Amino acid sequence: MKRVLIIFANDLRRRLKSPLSILLMLAIPLVMTLVIGGVFGRSGKVEMTKIRLLVFDADRGLGGRFVRQGFEQGKLAEMFELVPVDSIDGFDLMAEGKASALLVIPRGFTNDLLDRRQTALKLIKNPSESFNPIIAEEAEPLKKTRSMLSADKWPALGDMQVLLDEAKIPFTQVEGYIGDSLVTLGSETAADTARAGGNAGSSGFNIFSYVMSGSLMLGLLFTSNIMLNDIVREKRAGTLARALCSPIGTGHVVAGKVLSVYAVTAIACLLLLVVGKFAFSMDLGDPAALAAHTAASILMCTGIMTLLFGIVRRERAADAIAPVVIIVLAMLGGSMLSFDMFGETMQRIGKFSPVYWANDGFKKIMVFGAGTSDISRNILVLAVIGLASLVPGALLLGTGFRKGG
Amino acid sequence: MIEVNGLRKYFGNVKAVDGLSFGVKEGEIFGFLGPNGAGKTTTISMLSGLLRPDAGTITIAGMEMSGGGGKARSIMGIVPQEIALYEELSGRENLHFWGSLYGLSGARLREETDRVLDMVELSDRADDPVGKYSGGMKRRINLCAGLIHRPQIILLDEPTLGIDPQARIRILDIVRKEAESGTTVIYTTHYLEEAESLCKRIAIIDQGRIHAEGTLAELVKLVGEEDIVTITGDFRADAFPALPEGTRIDRIADGTARLVVRDHGAVGSMLSGFFSSGLRVDTVAISEPNLQGVFLKLTGKELRD
Repeated sequence: MKRVLIIFANDLRRRLKSPLSILLMLAIPLVMTLVIGGVFGRSGKVEMTKIRLLVFDADRGLGGRFVRQGFEQGKLAEMFELVPVDSIDGFDLMAEGKASALLVIPRGFTNDLLDRRQTALKLIKNPSESFNPIIAEEAEPLKKTRSMLSADKWPALGDMQVLLDEAKIPFTQVEGYIGDSLVTLGSETAADTARAGGNAGSSGFNIFSYVMSGSLMLGLLFTSNIMLNDIVREKRAGTLARALCSPIGTGHVVAGKVLSVYAVTAIACLLLLVVGKFAFSMDLGDPAALAAHTAASILMCTGIMTLLFGIVRRERAADAIAPVVIIVLAMLGGSMLSFDMFGETMQRIGKFSPVYWANDGFKKIMVFGAGTSDISRNILVLAVIGLASLVPGALLLGTGFRKGG
Repeated sequence: MIEVNGLRKYFGNVKAVDGLSFGVKEGEIFGFLGPNGAGKTTTISMLSGLLRPDAGTITIAGMEMSGGGGKARSIMGIVPQEIALYEELSGRENLHFWGSLYGLSGARLREETDRVLDMVELSDRADDPVGKYSGGMKRRINLCAGLIHRPQIILLDEPTLGIDPQARIRILDIVRKEAESGTTVIYTTHYLEEAESLCKRIAIIDQGRIHAEGTLAELVKLVGEEDIVTITGDFRADAFPALPEGTRIDRIADGTARLVVRDHGAVGSMLSGFFSSGLRVDTVAISEPNLQGVFLKLTGKELRD
């Protein structure tokens, strides 16, 4: 371990002595956040207004109530202002620019759920607004309602407690409803409200958190890229060969190098989050969730880039290929254009990008206030991808070292 | 100290090293003399454990290098052809890093760092970034990085490449002193004068093969001990004066003649006979047998500095 730490400490010292390239890379997500956040964030104001969501509850049952209660708790309560409307007249409020979206809970929603019939929530988005309707669509209560009755995993009992208590339904009875996808969310944009703009209410949602949660990964991938590119440069400079001639051994050199990639990427991430916190007043959410998700996301970055540099060993090829891979993964994962703006097909494809899972997790933590259990799937996916790419990547790097480059 | 037998290394279809065998005794400076691409660096890379040979064996101080040579590596110091240093770090930080790879730490590491910095007279610049050093200074730190752990064997791969004569002399002096203290040295170069002045034994290498090996005197004997006398002046080829015994004409044209004198002592009498003939002589150049001639004879090409 001491030998690994010698390599690791030296790389870290070198990077600290010459941090410019990484700082420039970190400027990418910061500038993106500043520009996009500034454009959508109302003349650069940090705090966005509360998102006004109209709810037309035709069901008036427990299911509909459960959905509404989701918006009235915790961080979402700060972000959303729920306005019950008696009828579909809510369209008029959107047309007047007084709401971002209208959620329609259909008649018989609760009964349909309990009778295992297909049912659908409908979200009608205000086309004159950019982000707020999407955020409403992304909101956890809507997702949770769907996942609770369709998910391949049993939801936390606490999540269902209110519903179960009020309905006086024994747990065993509810269990029978789990498994099939019974609830779908239909969303559409109200064409006749296009002329309206703006929304009303008070603060709660930070647009910078929303943008940074996506652009963060771009900076981290490029940071990992710089660190691994340094290994290629070391090959040219002869320092790598010299280290490999020492009694330290190839395995220790590879481990030290990979560890330094991870550490420097983690420092870069910390730096971005600190800047986000103090410069953009971002809410970083639950520290435990953020730490766990960040660790997994950096593992993914390190793994993917190690594998790439394990395969592509020549400096010129690495210079050409790595940025393309990063940009494609980041684009598909929603780092440049919000994933929520993708069409259905692109969303399906985008989920194959590991960056999606990282972005999605950061968004859940920093925008919707999710805890560790809410993002456990993201963490698992990222950790698996990270390890699955890191191990062969490190082996390939070592093989390349032994072959003299 | 070092035994190499039948060493081979191929890169695709290219035979970089083709059946090298040699031995180096303790405290000896053994030189590899050859042009660029002769296989010197590949040989050093295999000796240092960086490259695995395709065939052949390397034994370092009784230890086989075939298993990676972990122990053997710890008694070797490498000075590569490239200036393998971190430019963003200072000379001292570089030496601390390279020393720590060989197990030095704490006070011992600091002492050894100071020792080698003193040796190359760079103590006053030790804390400056290497990127700000001159080429000669970088070469000296590059040398230090290979000596910091007091290795029993030093592998130097063209350590004076591209530096000024003063810095070169300084480096050669250090290598000489290391050998005098009992360190075994393998030194590759394509500078004839370095090989002649520094190495106790020399292997002439080209196209991956050793063409000859021995002391300078032994190698010179391979091409004979004849002096070459080149005379230019006002004379005709067909009216050249008679030459004393042991001297013959190698090449002659109007105004220039190249003579071969078997006995070094006969050069004077040959020239006095020539002057007394009344012909005008402009220049006389005498070249004694040297490595250049040996190299030319063995490989059919000249080594260029």
